[in-house]
Amino acid sequence: MIEVEHLVKHYRSGSGGAVRAVDDVSFDVRSGEMVGLLGANGAGKTTTLRMLATLLRPTSGTARVAGHDVVTDPVGARRSLGYVSATTGVPDRLSPREILRSFGELHGLSGAALDGRVEQLVDVLDLGPCADRPAGRLSSGQRQRVSVGRALVHDPPALVLDEPTSALDVLGARDLLDFLSGLRRGGRAILLSTHRLNEIEGRCDRFVAIHGGRVIAAGTREEFVGAAGSLEEAFFAAVGGAKAE
Amino acid sequence: MTSAPPPPAVSPTEIPPIPALAAVVAVARFQLARLLTPPRLAMAALGVVFPTAILLAAMKASGRTLPFNYGAPLLYALVPETVCMLGLLVTMCPAVADELERGTWVHVAVRPGGRRSLLLGTYLAAVAWTGTVALSALFLALASGAIDGGWDVLWPFIGLIGLSCVGRAALFALPAVIIPKKALVAGVGVALIVEYLAGFIPAVVNQLTVALRLRTLLVRWMGWRHKLYSIPEMQLLIDTNPPWMQVAAVFLLAAVFLAVAIAILEWRQFPPSEES
Repeated sequence: MIEVEHLVKHYRSGSGGAVRAVDDVSFDVRSGEMVGLLGANGAGKTTTLRMLATLLRPTSGTARVAGHDVVTDPVGARRSLGYVSATTGVPDRLSPREILRSFGELHGLSGAALDGRVEQLVDVLDLGPCADRPAGRLSSGQRQRVSVGRALVHDPPALVLDEPTSALDVLGARDLLDFLSGLRRGGRAILLSTHRLNEIEGRCDRFVAIHGGRVIAAGTREEFVGAAGSLEEAFFAAVGGAKAE
Repeated sequence: MTSAPPPPAVSPTEIPPIPALAAVVAVARFQLARLLTPPRLAMAALGVVFPTAILLAAMKASGRTLPFNYGAPLLYALVPETVCMLGLLVTMCPAVADELERGTWVHVAVRPGGRRSLLLGTYLAAVAWTGTVALSALFLALASGAIDGGWDVLWPFIGLIGLSCVGRAALFALPAVIIPKKALVAGVGVALIVEYLAGFIPAVVNQLTVALRLRTLLVRWMGWRHKLYSIPEMQLLIDTNPPWMQVAAVFLLAAVFLAVAIAILEWRQFPPSEES
């Protein structure tokens, strides 16, 4: 469902040189699978996810969402993808219901289909009590739920989440991750970036660790952790190995 | 939040691709909804009231209603120029910067209409919002009775307001996409240098300004052309082509400005570090 092959992204730095933010990254996420993209700040996670979301153009390599190439068929990729970021970007003055409606309209939904979808999301995201309250008066958890609803409004088969739990407390994070597990069981492909490894250790089917823009380890939990004992220790070992090289 | 997946009400393959115009209108509706904030409404109210306040102050100073030949140019300077220019500066120039700063850029730009719809929708919202403010200001100013025979300017000024919004919102789209974080300052510079300096230089450069077209239309539609014949220098400040060509020129300029702005926005990269 999500395929990334030899993806490269270079930025021009302030001094005129090139910064290799993402350097030959490859992985895939199948339907009904949740993959954790692990990395420290500045590792290249967000840049990778933004290329998948068509927000950044790859320098080279390919990325496809539901078979749609993000460069040659960006509209197809956008129609198949839901994107959630750490900064919810939820307009303070609008209510969750208004926000979901607005973003449904941006996908061409209207009439009964839009009404039905909005009410369904309000229900499953448990936004009922605050659905008509200005988003500026919602808690961080509620705002993130609105953000998730906004990403799901067109019912995409693939979901990309960039550190979705970073602004949430432990209960909010657990709630959100439970919800994502439900979406995975429903057949969606989920790619989730985070540096809070303990939260996702038991939830993701596979992990991809990147450091300095390169994939330094990948595999199922068993393959990834190996003898390290925990995801966190395995990640530290992989980063340590990458630094030593 | 329930852990059960939401049953799909529609699947992405069942949602027909959104037509380009519908995507633009959807963004415009979203932007207009976001403009309905107390600070924005207060600014709009100020924009509606201040031309009338100036006219009434001028009337009070002169001790009588303003003669048409003095009041109409003053009203033109206040509404199609000042109100439209200021309204468009604050609604169009931050088109990209606001999205980046609020963190909404990524959420709107990943929709099927993408960046193009974002810019055109914001443009449409800026034109609708500013046009409404300017028309309200015009009606209030005329209703105040400060100008002798003021209602004679109604239709020409409605046209000038519309053209001012269409042309200048497109002009301000350029600084919005070229230097998003300093677009407001750059927009003021564009207004002063391009519209008000270059617009008054009788050379090829002023053919590319909206100001020349509006000024020419003002003179032609108000029937002031013959009066200008007595002042040869004034002839240099207007264009000799017929009104329809001036209207077409504004639309052509707007189309070119928007096409360039869209091309730049599609090409530009906004690394995560540029969001704040």
